[in-house]
Amino acid sequence: MNARKRILLAKMGLDSHDTGIITVASILRDAGYEVIYIGLHNQASKVVKVAIEEDVDAIGISFLSGQHMTQMRRLLEEMRLEKLPVPVFCGGVIPNDDAAELKRMGVAEVITAGTLSSEVARLVDRSLERLQA
Amino acid sequence: MSDATATSKPGPARDREEQIFETGAGFAIGEMYRPGDVDDLNYERDLGEPGAYPFTRGPYPGMYRERIWTRRFQVGFGSPRETNDRIKYLHSQGANGFVITIDLPTSYGFDSDDPISDGEVGVTGVPISTQEDMETLYDGFGPDAVSYALSIRPPVSSVTLAMLANVARKKNVPFEKVIGTQQNDAFYQMSGGPLQTVTQFFPLDGTVRLCIDNIEFISKNMPRLNWMVTNGYNLRETGVDAVQDGAFTLAHAFDIFRCARERGLDVNVFARRASFFLSCSIDFFEEIAKFRAMRRLYAKTMRDRFGATNPECWRMRFSVQSAGNTLTRQQPEVNIIRASIEAMAAVFGGAQSIHLCSYDEAHGLPTEESSRVALRTQQVIAYESGITKSIDPLGGSYYVENLTNRVEKAIGDKLAEIDRDGGMIARIKEGWLEKEINSARVKNQRDLDTGRRNLVGVNRFKIAPEEERPIEIHRLHADVWGERRGDYLRQYRASRDPQKWAEAMRRLESGWKNGENMVPLLMDALQNKVTMGECHEAMRNAQSWNFR
Repeated sequence: MNARKRILLAKMGLDSHDTGIITVASILRDAGYEVIYIGLHNQASKVVKVAIEEDVDAIGISFLSGQHMTQMRRLLEEMRLEKLPVPVFCGGVIPNDDAAELKRMGVAEVITAGTLSSEVARLVDRSLERLQA
Repeated sequence: MSDATATSKPGPARDREEQIFETGAGFAIGEMYRPGDVDDLNYERDLGEPGAYPFTRGPYPGMYRERIWTRRFQVGFGSPRETNDRIKYLHSQGANGFVITIDLPTSYGFDSDDPISDGEVGVTGVPISTQEDMETLYDGFGPDAVSYALSIRPPVSSVTLAMLANVARKKNVPFEKVIGTQQNDAFYQMSGGPLQTVTQFFPLDGTVRLCIDNIEFISKNMPRLNWMVTNGYNLRETGVDAVQDGAFTLAHAFDIFRCARERGLDVNVFARRASFFLSCSIDFFEEIAKFRAMRRLYAKTMRDRFGATNPECWRMRFSVQSAGNTLTRQQPEVNIIRASIEAMAAVFGGAQSIHLCSYDEAHGLPTEESSRVALRTQQVIAYESGITKSIDPLGGSYYVENLTNRVEKAIGDKLAEIDRDGGMIARIKEGWLEKEINSARVKNQRDLDTGRRNLVGVNRFKIAPEEERPIEIHRLHADVWGERRGDYLRQYRASRDPQKWAEAMRRLESGWKNGENMVPLLMDALQNKVTMGECHEAMRNAQSWNFR
């Protein structure tokens, strides 16, 4: 287990559905992560800035209003510009095709609705371990 | 929450599955119910006739024998023109009630060309930035002929109400003939819970003032326009249980009524067209009991605590949407069955209008095909099943009456607790509601993880991902839509009289500071081509408030 790894969680854009991300925050805390949740309506620049300041090991973003492709493109671009190499997780209501495309773009895992806690933790653990190896 | 006759201990069933004998909100479910479980039931006092106090059996005398509930269509995407075209098509197919969904920038009072709107224009609904946009939405229809319910909230709903009033004027429709529903819940509208949605872009107290401005304007001018007090649907979708749902919904409504009374408005007038939007979840009997209990509690409170003497103000009317949060991504066609169960509970609960979620909603926005299946589900219930033909057919059932009593008691106790702690708005401001919601979310996930709650396809009866049927997805064109709207707004602003515009902006600011009702001022501003975003900017300036 990645004891006390730090994960930044955020919602991006104007979407305000936060049930998923609040639940995931609780799951990851129970799994031993330190979770920093910065709430709704963040822009890519803000997410990256906080990620650098807080020296996090991973970033998780959740969507439920169809803005995942636009927002994730911006976030990944901003991370490249700022040379921030941490894995990014994406969650929420995301069609299968888009999930595949997000992974091609470099998203570590897309964790959709209906995933049990043990599976959420396992997917995040696995990506972080892979990175360490 | 248990009573003497009930047991909640798990026991073996014939198929050797472990069962937990309690409802979603934790009411114990007894083996069976007998006359003794409802021995103090008094027909006149506790049930009454449908359409009569305390309205337990339904808000109207004939119920579905006289009028089947409204089967609303949800529309709104891309632009006002595209949305109007779609409404015209659906209208030609016999629909006359529409829920118009609004895109996220408009929901927060931003114009389509505001930088904050980038990538979000037209995605989750229709953008409305100008008076002309609203006129386009009503193209071909008078506001006395089709009923729109705009999915919106204050502060923005004050602007859309002013737009509606201007449309009526332009089409020579007298205000007293305007129909539709004005959604007017400032707190739960944006996905139910997060306080940030109410505080980030507009001052909270200013939002409440506009909410009351709307109620005042509607009750004085538009007697046929419904106004939705509480969006209990979005609240329930956060994961709270049926009792919290009932209590937080009603506590919020009663707080708003108190604010309206403080404004000097007459409860016998403004409460006449008040209505609710509620969720119907999967726990069949608990939901039926919830609807019946809420109606009874509302009638008692309006009569005895608010002193309303007009029986129309005792009658709680609500529209229902099936619970999106009971749907699964896995084996999505099973969601059609969930929606049918929920729709039947809404019918047994006496709903006035029903909208069912589409089976593909855990994958993306619904397609035409999935929306049609949702509508057909309602039509089978309405026209084939026969369950509509006798009013409140479950009334008098030992179990349903017993559960209705227990749900009413639990909601009533929680209401009293919220009252004692300063009312719902105060509790929302303190962050208490958000804490309640967050613990419910954690509990729900734990119940799924441990199997305490069954979810077919997720923690029971799963299939391998490769066996899942591929799902067709509704495609979005946010970038194209955003660009087109940007061009449109540039032209719109270039075509206006700058002096009249500046004067209207000044009037908004001074009117705000003088405490005037903002709706007539907004009507005037919109006619002088002040945009949605500019209306909000003027009102923010008047409060010396800036978020950027």
